[in-house]
Amino acid sequence: MGSLKPAGPSPSEGGFFATRADWLVNWGRKNSLWPMPLGLSCCGIELMAMIGPKFDIARFGAEAARFSPRQCDVLIVAGTLTWKMAEACRTIYDQMPDPKWVIAMGVCSSSGGMYDSYAVVQGVDMLMPVDVYVPGCPPRPDAVIDALIKLQKKIARERPVELLLSGDNDDEGAGTRRFSYPPNHAVPTTRSHEVLPPDAGPRG
Amino acid sequence: MNALERILSALGDPAPQGSTGRDGIPCLEIEAKDARRTIARLKSACGFDTNTFVTAIDRFPAEPRFELLWQFRSLVHGDRVRVRARLDAGPEGPRAPSIADLFPGAAYSERECFDMFGIVFEGHAGLKRLLMPEEYDHFPLRKDFPHQGIEPDRLYREWDRRRHEKPAGSAT
Repeated sequence: MGSLKPAGPSPSEGGFFATRADWLVNWGRKNSLWPMPLGLSCCGIELMAMIGPKFDIARFGAEAARFSPRQCDVLIVAGTLTWKMAEACRTIYDQMPDPKWVIAMGVCSSSGGMYDSYAVVQGVDMLMPVDVYVPGCPPRPDAVIDALIKLQKKIARERPVELLLSGDNDDEGAGTRRFSYPPNHAVPTTRSHEVLPPDAGPRG
Repeated sequence: MNALERILSALGDPAPQGSTGRDGIPCLEIEAKDARRTIARLKSACGFDTNTFVTAIDRFPAEPRFELLWQFRSLVHGDRVRVRARLDAGPEGPRAPSIADLFPGAAYSERECFDMFGIVFEGHAGLKRLLMPEEYDHFPLRKDFPHQGIEPDRLYREWDRRRHEKPAGSAT
């Protein structure tokens, strides 16, 4: 009977130690999400309001906005991403240490929005895996806080320690096996020791 | 004596073909090879000391295809003039003389014009794309520009190559 099954991961899916350690690690991760605020246009203003005292994302442990990607956990792409800025955005994502998450804030970063144009990236998921999309133009700070809570719930479902113990994680650290790249988008998976040949096909 | 007559008399011989546009701005039709000489005289003899913009018009099926358009403003006399020239596209694409040495502010306009129309300005010191990424392979304001014209895979590969070239070069 499915209804008799206990909530959460059953003992057969992971040992007691792993599930408890997962809970502890996830608790720490989800309550100290330091955002990388990539404010590209008007969404950046709402993002500032969200970080400020009125909406106060310090309640969710996410008030420590760092402007160095090395210290950040969640990249908030706030606004219209042009193709000229796209390389910088992807570089910031690559420079963030694992574990990392991405929030696409606003319709422009989610899908290109009203800019169906040669100069605008039609959704940042062409460049990187996105965890939460926030609609709105720009979205209210409440909506982004909702995205943050959704991201916290998503993090709570991850199993970093279990992946580490089972040994099927890749060489980038525990808890990174979270994404499957969208098949229609060529997302380059760059490694430091790998150089793509000039005629290489799309990766991902 | 209206503005057009004043300009034509100040330009002297041989005066280019001139008319007054529907918006009242004098408009001169010149040859592309005379552009630098005419514009230099507009600056020195007629007091047109400011370049408003440099842009182009793509008359796609027609030949010659591109038309270059300069607009100047005289802060002394308070009037404007527009100069147009048809560009003959050679085998290496449309080329035009640069006026960035006469009007330094025109350097940005010419870069934008190169970015959007692919017109090469001869004599421009740093002619590269202004708005689009440098790996971009199209000229967006041309009439035969494909919708969006974006090839993400090619851009990604360019980024990858550039990112990996730099440390390799500095290490050796």
